[in-house]
Amino acid sequence: MEAIVKRIILEVKNGDEQAFAELVELYKDKVYQVAYRMVGNAHEAQDVAQEAFLRAYTNLDSFDRNRKFSTWLFRIATNVAIDRLRKKKPDFHLQDQVKGSENLTYESQLAADQALPEEQIVTMEMQEWVQDEINQLPVKYRTAIILKYIEDLSLKEISEILDLPISTVKTRIHRGREALRKRMRHL
Amino acid sequence: MKCEKSYEHLIHKYLDGDTSSEERKRLEAHLNECPHCLEHVRELKKAIAFVQSASHIEAPANFTNQVMTNLPQKKNTSKTKSKWKRWMKKHPILVAAAVFLLLMSTSVSTLWQNNEQVTFSGSGNVQIDQSSGRVVVPEGEVVEGDLVVRNGELVVEGEVRGNILLVNSEPYFASAGHVSGEIEEVNQVLDWIWYHTKNFFSEVITVLDSDDNK
Repeated sequence: MEAIVKRIILEVKNGDEQAFAELVELYKDKVYQVAYRMVGNAHEAQDVAQEAFLRAYTNLDSFDRNRKFSTWLFRIATNVAIDRLRKKKPDFHLQDQVKGSENLTYESQLAADQALPEEQIVTMEMQEWVQDEINQLPVKYRTAIILKYIEDLSLKEISEILDLPISTVKTRIHRGREALRKRMRHL
Repeated sequence: MKCEKSYEHLIHKYLDGDTSSEERKRLEAHLNECPHCLEHVRELKKAIAFVQSASHIEAPANFTNQVMTNLPQKKNTSKTKSKWKRWMKKHPILVAAAVFLLLMSTSVSTLWQNNEQVTFSGSGNVQIDQSSGRVVVPEGEVVEGDLVVRNGELVVEGEVRGNILLVNSEPYFASAGHVSGEIEEVNQVLDWIWYHTKNFFSEVITVLDSDDNK
């Protein structure tokens, strides 16, 4: 995997713009997923994910080839998402409204599972609830929790992505877990 | 209640998979006695499972295309530039030839445009009539060597013992006139360039030949 990625990066650096499409294909789902979980809606997630790839493209020369590409890309993606979240005032009620219109996205994804309509609705509501709980987390903890439990990354990788010592990452995950626990206990 | 704080750190260590077997035993022993901490662990595990239940999300279908169409244009120019550079590195002889032709043609064409006046070069007693644009080799006169005439008409009434080059010029030979060498006419810039190039190479060959002879 990493060998393929390195070859593609070399091709892009040598001026083959089309080779970058292969790179996007390889990582689009992961980047989009992080973006989606961070910002909480499909429209902004697409913006953030695209912006992340564009930044990766323009800064490809600064990528250290001895390091893991996905780590570098996740770092860009989380930074873009955090910037985005900082710029707008957090208004989760407004976001919830927007989310209502994204049922289609969920639905189209769940349709492949051939679930019964009722089960579908339950799953959909469950998914909305999960995202809603993630949205409630402060951005610092949210990022760490997403990388740890949704992307399933190691603490070492998360510390590289966030450019934080492992101990800090652990603290954020601990606090994130506690915040989730406290909210869920009352439900 | 009191134990919660002291064991909280251990619980998180345990959830991170960082506990030693000894710490693990200690925690397990405590959880057996303390329903409060046990509940805490259960709630945390529930919260983790809840987040992990988030379904996998895929990027929209046309995502890659949209990224590709939005790639910055700036990179495009440097791309063509580097392609061009690479081509130049691959074909040094072609580049050298192109540079040679460019310099040659510019120098030759400036020579060409230099004089609108009737001029000639060569040795001997030759008359120039600027108003009619005629260069006359008078009767009975003998020109030794080559003759070059520009922008005029060459009238040979006497004798020329050499080659004649007519640049943008017309020849006119009187019956009495005699030319022992070759007569060449150059009326176009390209001919002019061709003539110079030919000359250049024949000179090079002559030089090489004379080197060989030594």
